[in-house]
Amino acid sequence: MKYKVPIGPIHPALKEPIMITCEVQGEEITGVDVTASQNHRGVEWIGMHRNNPVQSIYLSERICGICNLCHPACLVLAVEEIAGIEVPERAQYIRVIEAELERIHSHLLWAGVAAHELGFDTLLHYTWQVREKVMDILELVNGNRVTKAIMMYGGVRRDITDDLKPKMMEMLTYYRGLFSRMAQLFLEDKTIKMRTRNIGILTKEDAYQLQAVGPTVRASGVPKDVRQDVAYFAYPDFEIKAVTPDQLTGTVVGDTYDRIVVRLLEVKQSLDIIEQALDEMPPGDIASEEKIPKLLAQIKKAEGEAIGRHEAPRGEDIHYVKLKKGLDTLYTWKVRAPTYSNIMAWRPMLMHHQIADIPIVAASIDPCMSCTNRVITAGSSGEAILGAEELHRLSVEKTRRMTP
Amino acid sequence: MNIEELTAALKEKELEVRVQSVTAGVKNKTQRHTLWVPVERHRLKEVVAHLIDRTDHFPHFSVISPSDEGDQVELNYHFTVNYGIPQGEIAVTLKVLVPKDDCWVPTLTDLIPGTAFSEREIIEMMGVDVHGLEDKRHLFLTEDFPEGVYPWRRDDTGPRETNKLYEGWKE
Repeated sequence: MKYKVPIGPIHPALKEPIMITCEVQGEEITGVDVTASQNHRGVEWIGMHRNNPVQSIYLSERICGICNLCHPACLVLAVEEIAGIEVPERAQYIRVIEAELERIHSHLLWAGVAAHELGFDTLLHYTWQVREKVMDILELVNGNRVTKAIMMYGGVRRDITDDLKPKMMEMLTYYRGLFSRMAQLFLEDKTIKMRTRNIGILTKEDAYQLQAVGPTVRASGVPKDVRQDVAYFAYPDFEIKAVTPDQLTGTVVGDTYDRIVVRLLEVKQSLDIIEQALDEMPPGDIASEEKIPKLLAQIKKAEGEAIGRHEAPRGEDIHYVKLKKGLDTLYTWKVRAPTYSNIMAWRPMLMHHQIADIPIVAASIDPCMSCTNRVITAGSSGEAILGAEELHRLSVEKTRRMTP
Repeated sequence: MNIEELTAALKEKELEVRVQSVTAGVKNKTQRHTLWVPVERHRLKEVVAHLIDRTDHFPHFSVISPSDEGDQVELNYHFTVNYGIPQGEIAVTLKVLVPKDDCWVPTLTDLIPGTAFSEREIIEMMGVDVHGLEDKRHLFLTEDFPEGVYPWRRDDTGPRETNKLYEGWKE
């Protein structure tokens, strides 16, 4: 007898809204269907109809809280390419450092979530305690723990000055000292190994066919990494090599365990990149044009199309932008976040495993739904349409009710 | 396969290829390339099959970016080939123009199963039918989203009622 087990759209095992319907026979999963969204936010519409291109940078930063650098990175790369905006050398290096800081914090966040999905909450708390170090550095460098507001067309908004370097170097030493302990905790623990080895396998063939990206595809042995493959920011200076699990274990299985291996190695790689960038960062300006109205005028005059791509912590992020002369907004803006490409891989990963494996296998691609879903159903019967003011009022009321 | 070889392989099919290049890096200045290739709708599958056939790795399909161009819808199929080689990857975008009064494209899922999500997305978001696609259910929009409303259109079929909710909306 087959049953359908719905996981989602809102479910304790998932941190964000998505719907996975698993068909099960006994304990075994025999069918998987994913409904991507119950929550589309229309971010692109705002960029195409309301915001000017500079405002859209900050909007794109809010597509996703965790990787809030990768979306602005793609947007600025595309617009700079169309409008021919130069980026100073120092800014190229700062962009690399910011991107790698983001990767460290995101991978550690994921490692904690993975431990939690396995029921190993001590490790969750330990990993997130360790993650605080990079959060402190983010705050030191950007003035904020989470959103960075660092990207601007033609450069970055804040410099990484020499007085910040000692603290950043201290962070590098701290994480390097912890690597073997983290590797031991995640890779040698008997229970973690039992729960992740040979569970949720994505074969190389499926990875190619389903167009997966990032650590998900690298764990299956495909050496695909935008930082290695494409020349953008200062990445060509760093000789980056895509991380595959055989670099540590000697084999590629493509399972959940391998995805842990890849992310751990990538944290180490990011530490090396940051160190090299801090050492070799050229002096000079951090932005080619400081006056925002001038930038906007330059973008308004531009016409053309381009794609911006960046290796986000979860994989390739891509934005397509089309600009038309005389228009105050972007003409076309399409955001494709890495999770979009990775969720199709859930099916082969989950098939013929047990129900208990769903949370960790689902988490193993590091899904980010806020990226993938980008308000309200209009015109269907019986539903109220609420405007911004009304929503704000309701939000304030609810907060007051909860905090007497 | 370098950029010249790829361009030559596409020109074999009598396609026009526009190359857009940008330089990045500080000490090791390197170019990245994007190829823009207009393709007629009836030749789309043939060109994608050719791309699969001629490239070393299976080409990576990123997404379809639709753009409302008045009477037509422009669909940009973004592929990347040659990944795995340092700074050797080339982005190839196939541009397909379809008229709004005959708005469909053939499915690519038989060649690349990973295109399914993107094809479902252009059906609901842009109102482009995908011939041959088995699963045409909504992907991002809820099942009860009104028929005939397409969020990415700039014409009258755009979601006018929803759009009024955004601050700064102008009729």
